Formats: sequence, C-alpha cells, structure tokens
Amino acid sequence: MATLDVVHVLGSRLDPDLAEKLHGLSHHGTIRYLELETADTARRRLRATTADGLDVGIMLPREERLFDGAVLHMDEESALVVRVRGERWLVLMPSSVPEALELGYHAGNLHWRVRFDEGRLLVALEAPAADYLARLGHLAAHVPHHVEGPDERREVS
Amino acid sequence: MQSIELSNEAPTAAPAAARIGIGGPVGCGKTALIERLIPVLQRRGINFAVVTNDLVTKEDALRLQRSGLIDPTRVSAVEAGACPHTVIREDPTLNIAAGDEMERLHPGLELVIFESGGDNLASTYSLDLVDWWMFVIDVAGGDDIPRKRGPGVLRSDLLVVNKVDLAPHVGVDLDQMLADARSVRNGRPVLATNARTGQAIEELADIILHAVLLER
Ligand SMILES: Nc1nc2c(ncn2[C@@H]2O[C@H](COP(=O)(O)OP(=O)(O)OP(=O)(O)O)[C@@H](O)[C@H]2O)c(=O)[nH]1
Ligand SMILES: [Mg+2]
Repeated sequence: MATLDVVHVLGSRLDPDLAEKLHGLSHHGTIRYLELETADTARRRLRATTADGLDVGIMLPREERLFDGAVLHMDEESALVVRVRGERWLVLMPSSVPEALELGYHAGNLHWRVRFDEGRLLVALEAPAADYLARLGHLAAHVPHHVEGPDERREVS
Repeated sequence: MQSIELSNEAPTAAPAAARIGIGGPVGCGKTALIERLIPVLQRRGINFAVVTNDLVTKEDALRLQRSGLIDPTRVSAVEAGACPHTVIREDPTLNIAAGDEMERLHPGLELVIFESGGDNLASTYSLDLVDWWMFVIDVAGGDDIPRKRGPGVLRSDLLVVNKVDLAPHVGVDLDQMLADARSVRNGRPVLATNARTGQAIEELADIILHAVLLER
C-alpha cells in the first residue's frame, strides 16, 4: 500500500508559486485531496488516508499547522492538498429570555465551542447532534433546533 | 515541461516530539499505566519524557522520579492550581512550556506524555497541546460509566478500561461494560488493561506508537 510521509507544510494552494504549479498539475498530473475534520487540523501528528487509498503520515514541527488548502506534497506528477470538511453546527433558537439564559448556562458549563448569531446559539459538532441534545435535557424538547453543515440538507429533528 | 522543486524535506531539524495526553477520573490508574509503559517504551528504544499535572503538589512527578524506572530529569510537574482540566483544555500554556522545556533538555526527544490531574468525565484535552489522547476509566468506578457518555469517554482517541482484575470483586460484568463502551464510541478503539499485572500494556504501546508515527 502506498504511503507518504509529510514533515513540512509547503505552503498554501493560494501562494502564487504553488498555485501556478497546481494549475499545471491540474492539466497534466494528479492533485490528490486529503479530507480532514476541522478538529483534526490542530494535530501535528496524524495518520489519514486519501479517497484513493494513499496513506499519509503527518509529522509537523510544532510551529506549523494544517489548514484548508495546505499543500503537503508536490512533485512533477502529483500534489497533495488538505481539504477541511466544513463544520457542522447545532443551531438552537431559544424563544424566550429564560430559555436563552438556561441554554447559555449549559453550553458554558459543558465547554461547548459556540457562535452567536442574532439570538441563535450555534454549537460546533464534534460528535452526533443527539449526544449534545441529550445533555440539554428538557431544553432539547422545548428549544427549536436543527443541524447546519456542508453535507446537510438541513437535518431537522 | 516546467521544473518543479521536489521538497517535502523540512528545511530545519527533525520534527518535534509527539505529544500525547492521558486523562481520566481520580485514581483510575493513570500513573500506574505510565509506570507500566515506561519499561515497554524503553525496550522499544523510544526517547521520551513525562509531564504530570496535580492540583497543588508534585506528587505524581515525585512518585515517577523516585520509582527508579526513569531518569528523574525526564519527569516534570505542572501544578494546575485549579480544576485540572483548565491546564489541558482551556489554557494549556503551562503544559506546552513544560513540553518545550523537556525537548530543550533532551535533544532528540521523540515523545512527551502528559498526565492530567484526576478530573471528571467531561475532561478533554486540547489538540493544541497533544496530538493524541486517551481517557482512562476503571472497572471499580462502576459499569455504568460508559453509558453516561461523558465527553472524555466519547471523544478520546482511545478509551482504556483499567483495573479489569477488580471486576469480580465489585460485581461488574466486564464484557457488558466493554460492549457499552464500544457502542457509545462509534468504532473508536477501547482497550481493557490491568496496570497491576501489565495486561495489555504492550498493545497500549502499539496503539500509541502507531497513532503518533513512532512505530519501529
Ligand atoms: N487492582 C488494580 N489496582 C490498580 C490498577 N491500576 C491502578 N491501581 C491502583 O489504583 C490506585 C490509583 O492508581 P494511580 O495510578 O495513582 O491513579 P491515578 O489515575 O494516577 O490517580 P490521580 O493521579 O490521583 O488522579 C493505586 O492504588 C494503584 O495501585 C489495576 O489495574 N488494578
Ligand atoms: Mg496520577
């Protein structure tokens, strides 16, 4: 099985130099994408596999970091570029101040990663939405919610 | 054909040491597992160090330093001074600095193991601090722990169920407990260990070294 070790991020696919080479490879070469979850981009050591089965072993210095568009490898025939899967968010829409207060209390207490959006509370999902809803107890039954994400057509529950 | 520079070589030195975290409730056996891992890692030629976290003491670091298992300069302590999770998740800077210091003291270091202070089931590691982390629970803590779906149990890269020797003494159905653990973790690994006898410690080392690319 093919494997590739990566010890350094070459740059971003948007860097002019790399962008030009990637453009060339898009015509006569192969550009592979390594799909990663947002949370995994914080790791400096990581094993992952591309859609076409290339095993990639990542070992970065601590001052480097993975990101969407990071170019991990490039040669005359091929390149490897990181593609970060869009985040999934649990969108909670409290309809009263007491509900909002209670929701805010729980979200903080559980150390969830959140965003605020005009009266809506968005919780970044790193596990199935049901796990998060279970922690909210009775609030989950009262507060309207749905999941938003790149692959979701809007997973209403 | 245009020329393309081949470069996947780091311009500077070897990659930094891998960093892993060991978390779990008070007394689940985190330090005991590290004491068992030490000789296994040494035998495999891994150049490593340990950073322990305690509330207001250096108890675990002193225990490892006095154990005779490891060069005492390869063990250091961070005093959390508050809830133990604050220094592994919310603000891991003290631990990051301790890891950096270990790398400075021991050139060629390949692995730093961070032991969190004993905490509750919600404790998780920041991936800014570690590349991989495991959560330890023990059989004597109750066979309902996996079903409580704490973030540590759900999200860790590996869940270790320790003290399997105690199952008959505390009336725990170990197979059921492991099955429950596997079912809440969506296919992420679960390992049953006994830090008293060393059961499954070789497998634990295999899993860790594979995950952080230190297999040999
Ligand atoms: N029977 C049995 N006892 C164990 C096992 N692992 C650890 N212990 C005992 O459990 C107690 C706690 O172990 P520690 O290794 O100190 O636990 P810890 O998780 O490091 O504890 P804190 O750092 O204080 O949170 C000690 O008395 C250990 O000897 C095991 O697998 N079986
Ligand atoms: Mg300990």
